[in-house]
Amino acid sequence: MKINKIFLVTAILFFIFGCNTVSNDGYRISIITKALDSEFWQKLKQGAEDAAKEFPNAKVSVLAPTREINIDQQVNILEDQILKRVSALVVAPCGVAEIIPALDKAYDRNIPVLTVDTDVDWPHRLSYVGTNNRLGGKLAGEYLIKALNGKGKIAIIRGIPGVQTHEDRVGGFLEALNAAPDIEVGVLQPANSERDLALTVMENILTSHPNLDGVFITSDQMALGALEAVDAHRLSGELVIVGFDAGEEAIKAVREGRLTAVVAQNPYNMGKQSFLAALKAAKGEPIEPRIDTGTALIDIENVDRINP
Amino acid sequence: MKWLRQLGPLLALIVMIVLLSISSPYFFTVDNLLNIFRQSSVNALLALGQLLVIITAGIDLSVGSILGLCAVAVALSLKAGWSIIVSIFICLLVGAFVGWLNGAMLTKMKLPHPFISTLATMNVARGLALIISGGFPISDLPASYRIWGASSVSIIPVPVIIVVVVYFIFHIFLTKTISGRDIYAIGGNKVAAYYSGIPTDRRLVVVYMLSGLLAGLAAIILTGRMNSGFPLAGMGAELDSIAAVIIGGASFFGGVGTVWGTLVGALLMGVLRNGLNLLDVSAYWQTVVIGAVIVWAVYMDVLRQRVMKKKRS
Repeated sequence: MKINKIFLVTAILFFIFGCNTVSNDGYRISIITKALDSEFWQKLKQGAEDAAKEFPNAKVSVLAPTREINIDQQVNILEDQILKRVSALVVAPCGVAEIIPALDKAYDRNIPVLTVDTDVDWPHRLSYVGTNNRLGGKLAGEYLIKALNGKGKIAIIRGIPGVQTHEDRVGGFLEALNAAPDIEVGVLQPANSERDLALTVMENILTSHPNLDGVFITSDQMALGALEAVDAHRLSGELVIVGFDAGEEAIKAVREGRLTAVVAQNPYNMGKQSFLAALKAAKGEPIEPRIDTGTALIDIENVDRINP
Repeated sequence: MKWLRQLGPLLALIVMIVLLSISSPYFFTVDNLLNIFRQSSVNALLALGQLLVIITAGIDLSVGSILGLCAVAVALSLKAGWSIIVSIFICLLVGAFVGWLNGAMLTKMKLPHPFISTLATMNVARGLALIISGGFPISDLPASYRIWGASSVSIIPVPVIIVVVVYFIFHIFLTKTISGRDIYAIGGNKVAAYYSGIPTDRRLVVVYMLSGLLAGLAAIILTGRMNSGFPLAGMGAELDSIAAVIIGGASFFGGVGTVWGTLVGALLMGVLRNGLNLLDVSAYWQTVVIGAVIVWAVYMDVLRQRVMKKKRS
């Protein structure tokens, strides 16, 4: 009786694992993102998978750790993909320095490496596919200056310190603020690109800086979390809030007037372009070292034109 | 009959290895098996400390945060230009000190359960890691330091050698020394152990110190491997280490558990994660599977005990 049950479970397991047969022919492109827990990464995945449909001899798999902070998990996934000798790797690194030893392994095995969304400082990466984040941050800064008439106190909520994407967005933003000496940055705090943490951080900021005029938040999930805190403090519409990413939820928030503006990235295009470039690299064809996937600023004025 | 206790997890490990070898051509290769061992080494060290604590019927929630704090400490020391030996010493000292705090809060301050003291240090250590690093990763460590995490002796990765040696030492410690036997006695029945003359408080402090020390050792491997000491290192790692110990056949009620069972538990988790990665299974499914394996491993143990009870009566 008991033996039967164990046998049954084992048989089921064999069935599950047996279904995952791996084909060795054609090009295998692995895209490893920071996570898959938001619309941004899902769209990137969709873009890559849609692009791959056009190529019957190429297969793409999009994998990620469970959370953006799980750097070691991402390194493990990367090592495992390298071991499979995939044709090309596309990585959105959770930690730009921590990932490099694993990338070296890929280089040793002649696997071409591209980065998407977040770039790394590594001499062998063939191409960076993504938003010009510095420019995006600058757009946000210029918008905020205009909206506040060049005067006021603002806060910045940012992603994990040390991650280049967020460094660039904040850097570009601060660069733009140089033109407006009357705008004071009261707080700069990380919320690790997590929605619930951003809610807490924003609540604390609103409590400690009641006379705040504006906020710049370096990703959608954090902006949406922060908006909850703003609503709870009945300040909706009174603060100038500029976000970054522009997923559907953020666009909706712009329409409702809760989010003042958002710098739009195009994750679908990132997925598509990174797949196409990786396939070229796998075939040994030359690719551009920098592929810009576009940036735009969306507010209530142009939201219907850009996102009908 | 003691070996039977490890049969459940060992069987699970073998079944997993067979299944994964069938389903992925990349799985059963020397390269990949070493890869699994290396990827499991940090969890294996944390789990070893956790095992000691769980044998005493305690729990150590702080190991992941100690790992993070030690990672930042060693990276900062190296960046400050201190020698590798001094930096490693500081790293281990920090780990052992936080462990000592855990033990002291339990035995001197008489906090009611180690869940509380280690929950406190879990938060404090993580906070300190973020404070002293400013939240930023400290990367680009000296190459001669990185041998501990990143290099190999012929084909065997250094972390694997460290794990095997440390496990062997702790096996001897737990089975052959008086202090080691005392730890089992305390977990079996603390009051009885006290009245039979075992210095229970002193042993408990040592157990928590060793757990912290091993987390420090794990930090050396992790920072070497990643070329960076990052303050978020080891987030959630305490739960992985507890899982490895439980899968490895130790009892939450104390007094039971072996070093090799824990190694099997840590390897089983490593094999699962690696195998599912090779099969391109999403990380979300991996957490589901690991949860299921925990239930399976412990249920096997429950069944075994029921059978043995029947035989006896």
